[in-house]
Amino acid sequence: MKYSMAQGLARPINAFARMGKKYGLEWWILCAGAVIILAIIYMAILPETFTSFNPYDQNAGPQLAAPGGNHLMGTDNLQRDVWSRIVYGSQTILMVSVLAAIISSCVGIFFGLISGYAGGAIDRALSLMMDAVYVFPGLILAIALAAMLGPGVLNITFAVAVIYIPTYFRLVRGQTLAIKQELYVEAARAIGASGFTILMKYIFPNVIATTVVVFTLNVADAIMIEAALTYLGLGLPPSIVDWGMDLAMGKKYLPSGIWWLITFPGMMISVLALGFTMLGEGLAEILNPRLLER
Amino acid sequence: MRNLLRYIITRTLMTIPMVFILLTIIFVVLRLMPGDPVSAMLGGHAPEKVIEQKREELGLNKPMTAQYADYLWKICHLDLGDSMVLQQKVTTAIAEKLPATIELTFFGMLITLILGIFLGAYAADKRRTVRDSAIRLYGIVVYCIPVYWLGLMLQLIFGIWFDWLPIAGRTGARIISSDFEYSGLYILDTLLKMDWEAFGDVSMHLVLPSLTLGLTLSGIFVRLTRANMLDVLKADYILAAESRGIKHSTVVYRHALKNAFIPILTMMGLQVALLMAGAILTETTFSWPGMGRLLLERIYLRDYPMIQGVIIVFALMVAFISLLVDIIYAIVDPRIRY
Amino acid sequence: MRVWKLIALSMLVFCLAFIPTAGSAAAKDTIVYGTTEKVSDMDTAKAYDFHTWEIFYNVYQGLLSYPAGKTNIVPGLAESFTLSKDGKEYTFKLKKGLKFTDGTAFDAGVVKWSIDRVMALKSDPSWLVTDFVERVDVVDPLNVKFVLKNPVSYFPSLVASPPYYPLNPNVYPKDKLVRDPSELKGGNLVGIGPYKVVSFKRDQEVVLEANKMFYGPKAKNSRVVIRYFADATTMRLALEKGEIDFAFKTLNPSDIKDLQKSNKFEVITGQGPFIRYLCFRCQGKPFDDKVLRKAVSAAISRKPIIDKVYLGQNSPLYSMVPMAMMSHTDDFKALDGNSALAKKLLKSKGYSETNKLSFELWYTPSHYGDSEVDLAAVMKQQLEATGMMKVDVKSAEWATYRDNYANKVMTSYLLGWYPDYLDPDNYTAAFAGTEGSKGNGIFFSNPQWDELFKQGQMETKEAKRIELYKKVQKMWTDEVPTAPIFQGNLYVIAQKGIKGIVLSPTLQFNYGPIYRAK
Repeated sequence: MKYSMAQGLARPINAFARMGKKYGLEWWILCAGAVIILAIIYMAILPETFTSFNPYDQNAGPQLAAPGGNHLMGTDNLQRDVWSRIVYGSQTILMVSVLAAIISSCVGIFFGLISGYAGGAIDRALSLMMDAVYVFPGLILAIALAAMLGPGVLNITFAVAVIYIPTYFRLVRGQTLAIKQELYVEAARAIGASGFTILMKYIFPNVIATTVVVFTLNVADAIMIEAALTYLGLGLPPSIVDWGMDLAMGKKYLPSGIWWLITFPGMMISVLALGFTMLGEGLAEILNPRLLER
Repeated sequence: MRNLLRYIITRTLMTIPMVFILLTIIFVVLRLMPGDPVSAMLGGHAPEKVIEQKREELGLNKPMTAQYADYLWKICHLDLGDSMVLQQKVTTAIAEKLPATIELTFFGMLITLILGIFLGAYAADKRRTVRDSAIRLYGIVVYCIPVYWLGLMLQLIFGIWFDWLPIAGRTGARIISSDFEYSGLYILDTLLKMDWEAFGDVSMHLVLPSLTLGLTLSGIFVRLTRANMLDVLKADYILAAESRGIKHSTVVYRHALKNAFIPILTMMGLQVALLMAGAILTETTFSWPGMGRLLLERIYLRDYPMIQGVIIVFALMVAFISLLVDIIYAIVDPRIRY
Repeated sequence: MRVWKLIALSMLVFCLAFIPTAGSAAAKDTIVYGTTEKVSDMDTAKAYDFHTWEIFYNVYQGLLSYPAGKTNIVPGLAESFTLSKDGKEYTFKLKKGLKFTDGTAFDAGVVKWSIDRVMALKSDPSWLVTDFVERVDVVDPLNVKFVLKNPVSYFPSLVASPPYYPLNPNVYPKDKLVRDPSELKGGNLVGIGPYKVVSFKRDQEVVLEANKMFYGPKAKNSRVVIRYFADATTMRLALEKGEIDFAFKTLNPSDIKDLQKSNKFEVITGQGPFIRYLCFRCQGKPFDDKVLRKAVSAAISRKPIIDKVYLGQNSPLYSMVPMAMMSHTDDFKALDGNSALAKKLLKSKGYSETNKLSFELWYTPSHYGDSEVDLAAVMKQQLEATGMMKVDVKSAEWATYRDNYANKVMTSYLLGWYPDYLDPDNYTAAFAGTEGSKGNGIFFSNPQWDELFKQGQMETKEAKRIELYKKVQKMWTDEVPTAPIFQGNLYVIAQKGIKGIVLSPTLQFNYGPIYRAK
């Protein structure tokens, strides 16, 4: 049976609308978040489609020109086009936040599984360490790490990643402990399945669902922390295009009424963080409606 | 009563290993430093011998374990060392700047609570309406707005375009703080001295920074309050009160809110960390002379004892306030004690 | 809900009611001076920054001094001096009957006590004394003799600098450095200059009052209040609101531009003695080769840098010896923005578009202000525009930066220089003399140059010195241990009606002549 174009599109659109009706606001929030994220990822991967200017070009236009004409968002004090810096800046922030979240999750999940499954002294020791880092005010720890390690993409990624490891750890450990008691796990052990097999086949898959939600929220947080660190001048060398840094550098032009250097980078940080948050919140509601609210 | 006392003691004792670990983390992180702080401190002219001497003096030649023991011992004596860059004790510098941060975070928290709790209660009350969704959206959105960006935008709008409010510092240039300074909390000091002009000036300077801090954190409280209120509003006694004819707003905002308040209070303890983080960023944006700015200034100067001292104070403040909140919670809600 | 709204509203109204009325005018004779600088140590033996020195110029006096706005030496506390035949002994004849504000008599003993103290305490600026002075002898209460290690032709300008200022022995501890005036006997500085410090709140304000006993011209105002600001933006706003009478050091270029445009303010500008330059590490690849150093400096185009980064508010500098100083030449003009020459030199060493000269350019992000990052970015662009260079920009905070140049970590780096004393020697030997070069991380060493510097220090005839330093500057364009970029302009922005502000190339800013015209 051949489908026409309209028919072909009809089924996913229907599925879409059905989800919306079923879950209400949460579904739309999730979709909105996903759209934002995809748009910005697109911007990061194919920046040339968004701007023809080079963010490093110091002759893009007049100095400190207001938005308008050739320059959608104006130019900065070194005559660089602001919009191009926004577009290329998305690469930096996405890269750092996502990478940090991946590292966090891998390390946190790994240790969570081990700690939950092994129990005993290992569990106590790991839990103590993780709790301590968890309780430590996040940004302050990140500032201390970034300050000590110095500027650099890897350094800032590390600083951001460290803060979230305990979150994954606790989540996974808790779930591991719960699943460990289940009958089927006991049965598997009775048959002689190795610890590794049990972890991989039974525990890990069950952990994934909640981890995904935490992951998206983690990326949102990582974005905020990365921007905060670069705003404070701690994270990255200035040769890299970054939204937080542009905010810091544009600050001194504020009393002259030059608003476009800070409005747009800040707006983008908010939007990107919002995208991931909305995705995470939406997912959380849908995957596990009892998790957040009634 | 004995139960309560036991709880307080247990909880306080439990804080000690936590504090211990916090201090250890700080110690470890701050030894990751590249470069030699001593030769940087003494400047390019110093000969090798003098550098060695200084290292001896600062105890940097001892093995790590000895330095660690030293560090803990000193902290117990409330000695945070001396600044490497300026001639002052770390505790003195921190004591100077601490009140500014306390004032900022206090008013920030006040705004957060007022805004967050009332919006949350309102949303719970108007559940599943557009207003509810709007407020929930606000809760999510406002958390994603970087606090320093909000600060800059408020500065732009209210300070530059409208010129209604000052955008930096704690006092204007014509007000001399030494005239009224007593505790360091200017609002309090100016009231005590009954210096009305200074009071007005200081309050005006407090508006934008605390509003910035308060707004960004309010989102969390909106959602918390709403969630808790939804639970409470389902209870039988609420229905009973309504059917007895008590006005709806009284039921919601007095009876229900009071009961929902306590879990919210505990959440407040957890948010202190975020409050501190927000305070650091707000202080840099508004040139607020508090501990956050002190920390960053000294990071640029590589003043390790001071950096360490400030972080210790922040961490201890968070631990202490959590402890306090837990104790208050236990006093208010007898079910919690164990 | 309504109750809270009411409370919030009333709080707002309450606050608004207390907005301080504008122009709660300070006494007519008080001048309020805003700055973003910081005071360091209130001790001439320790302070080594220009702002603290500025306070010293007004509270203390030197044996010799500079008149406002000029660079020639005139008598100060000493009314004359004689030089011995071998050039190693300076005998100063002190003015009669001078007293510190607490009544302590000023005499040769005080001078000796002060100099001995600086030498003994061995702090940052003490080398300005110990490098030159062997000892100080009291000839009689009105005559004091400085015995030098070697003849130094610019010794008078050294004597005019704060480390040589006599301090009150009844107030300062002999063997300790003082940071705050509260550590002094009596709790305040007791000087002999046109002002005395009556109140000191670090990082907030310092209040000076005119000294009625001053032997020189009386101050035209009765009080000067120095107000310290955390950043330029706040200071600009305070100036616009009329909360301060004038602002000096350091406003953002965009703020200066805006204030210049507005006709509510007077902008007083002058040439400063502060210079900025690019240093090369002359040991190790690639800049041990002078041709490459010359190539890189030829690609620097000064005017565009100043326009982009500083909105045109500084002056291009074509020599390490600043403008308005004796013997200044413009030898680097031939090398300015000369990318054709740069490319030719690079080609001669085997570099090309496909084989680029790759090196690091370092800067320090906050020590020289926050526009450094822009300066480095613009320079990188200019150098790479030749097509034959690849520049890797790096940064380090000041403490690490200084570490780095001692450890030869940085291939090329941006530096700035405030003079210790006004003499071409301070701008040249410090970078290209073997000792000085090592101390600044440049590691340039050439015995011919060292010989010239030694001659310059000892030669007493000005004409001969001028000729010598002109020669040095010419040689500089050949060897290029450093490449000068720009010289800083000084800006004071004042409310209309504030008169008497005179900027000095010596940075000796006197508060005395300032008054409010009515």
